Amino acid sequence: MRFLQKEKSKDNLSFRLMIVVISLVVLFLGIAVSLYIGSRNISLQAVIKAIFIEDGSKDNLIIRTIRLPRVVMSICIGANLAVAGVLMQGITRNPLASPQVFGINSGASFLVVAATVIFPSVTNYSLVYFAFIGTALSGGLVYFMGSVGGMTPVKLALAGMAIHFLLSSFTQGMILINENSLDKIMHWMAGSVSGGTWDSVSVILPWTVLGLFIAFLLASSMTILDLGEEIAKGLGQKTELIRMIAGIVVIMLAGASVSVAGPIGFIGLIVPHIVKYFVGTDYRLRIPFCILFGSILLVCADVVSRFIAYPFESPVGIVTAAIGGPFFLYLAQRKRGTKE
Amino acid sequence: MMKKYSPAKWMIALSILVVVFSIISLSAGAVWITPKEIILSLLGSSEGGNKFILENYRIPRTILSILIGSGLAVSGAIFQGVLGNPLASPDVIGITKGAGLAAAIVLVLFPKAPVVTLPIAALAGAAIVAILIYLFSFRRGARPAVIALVGVALGAICNAAIQYLMVKNPIGINVALVWLSGSLWGKSMVEVLMLLPWVIVFLPIAFLISDKLDVLSLGDDVATSLGENVKVLRILLLILAVILTGSSVAISGTIGFVGLLAPHMARRIVGAKHKFLLPTSAMLGAILILVSDSIGKGLFVPIEIPTGIVTSVIGAPYFLYLLIKK
Repeated sequence: MRFLQKEKSKDNLSFRLMIVVISLVVLFLGIAVSLYIGSRNISLQAVIKAIFIEDGSKDNLIIRTIRLPRVVMSICIGANLAVAGVLMQGITRNPLASPQVFGINSGASFLVVAATVIFPSVTNYSLVYFAFIGTALSGGLVYFMGSVGGMTPVKLALAGMAIHFLLSSFTQGMILINENSLDKIMHWMAGSVSGGTWDSVSVILPWTVLGLFIAFLLASSMTILDLGEEIAKGLGQKTELIRMIAGIVVIMLAGASVSVAGPIGFIGLIVPHIVKYFVGTDYRLRIPFCILFGSILLVCADVVSRFIAYPFESPVGIVTAAIGGPFFLYLAQRKRGTKE
Repeated sequence: MMKKYSPAKWMIALSILVVVFSIISLSAGAVWITPKEIILSLLGSSEGGNKFILENYRIPRTILSILIGSGLAVSGAIFQGVLGNPLASPDVIGITKGAGLAAAIVLVLFPKAPVVTLPIAALAGAAIVAILIYLFSFRRGARPAVIALVGVALGAICNAAIQYLMVKNPIGINVALVWLSGSLWGKSMVEVLMLLPWVIVFLPIAFLISDKLDVLSLGDDVATSLGENVKVLRILLLILAVILTGSSVAISGTIGFVGLLAPHMARRIVGAKHKFLLPTSAMLGAILILVSDSIGKGLFVPIEIPTGIVTSVIGAPYFLYLLIKK
């Protein structure tokens, strides 16, 4: 028996290693394609050279100032949203929890749009804080609404949607009244990484590093939390504290992402489920895998987004929605067995 | 709690309120017209310079408010009755978004299409989403939870598609945005005549078969033993609801929360009997839209807030209150 278990865990290990290797290859390919493809044809050699050496040529400049920051931003945001999603699913113990379903995206968008409309000269660096406030408010509200009398996936989804309706109608109202910035805001509202510069990378990167670091520290506690409130408490976990810290991490990760790239949906919903399928419930594995898979998903979605309306670019949020919507549908259907 | 008055009394009171709010809705706007002038003008007096405004802008808009409000509210009541889920309503389960997507396709991709195609497209969109929800959830028992979640998911997909269209075609974006937030701005008698037949035909049908909803609410087994063909009945009622939603949304754009709220308010004052519930919902829906539209056009002159935004601002808190109370 023990032998069998050992055999199985060894199998698991090599299986996981294989996944890691494959996904790293995919990520690398995604990054390469993302750097290589664009409105100007640049040879692969020049691309590789540009990553390491700055030579001041036009191609070099394009790679270094347009394509590279965009890729870095996709990686950061993909990781952010996926980890935010997995933490939310852990906090609420609800498979549908994710930045979008929770109304967090629309909360952050609302305050970001409000800030840009009211203070047109606001910088990206201070927009992040507005996004944090929006995230915290809407997330807290939905959590509160959805958990009165026992949280169920349905209640959470409906509460999230009500908040989403409310905030997005406020946002729409503001956009309608201020037409001058309409185009830019609409593109942003659909979720896009195409405008990424080193500036936006430097906005998001500190929060990403900090948030992911805390998420790693929380990992083992989150795993225990997954066993249930009572068991976690019995094992000496301060469940409320863990939830609160995880919530703050979610706000940092999701809020920073929305503030630079707009509400990119569904990554936080899909990735944790895929990861769970591959590595199980241990957060010490789930979080790194979420980072990996989230980055892959967003980098690849970003590549796809350049082709769906070629030669024009489409917001990447539309691609993630096209993948994530049906997945949500599948989850919703599968959940039919759960209590109401 | 509020049932100390009979439903009939409530309905009389509400119909008086509909008249009162109609007059307010006629008065409110960029130019304030006194109720006295309105009544005189309606009685045929040609005095006063506001007759033109009244006849061409205000009256169509007020009539539309009443038609759309009652259409959405009754549709919501039918959804809630058939699905046995107090949270069901055309907007929550994605039907409105389907209509919105179809309308956005017409508005953005075929800007030169004749006006008549818009309602037809919206109806088709609503119907397609309804069928999809049916396929995804009803087949396996149609639990209210599954319907709600499937509807939310479909709504999210439609929403992404709408956004895609708007980003792809920035020229039509403004029209589409106004339409999507639900506005009665600039509507004329043409739209009234487009909507009127649908409401005049299908609203009375809904009232006539309202007792079937009571039978359905007893559960499938009881309903069957009472001699009803539950499946057919359910589909017919849902088709009715989709028609009412689709035609209303086609004219006004996606006005949210009315279909959810009006039936709830109605249930609190006249109880769950659909014979009273449907007409009361219709009147409450009309009042909701009349009030929202008056606020939208009259409060921040010269800026006009789309009606749908006002209904969301009023509606969302109440919706959340309902969730908490459960």
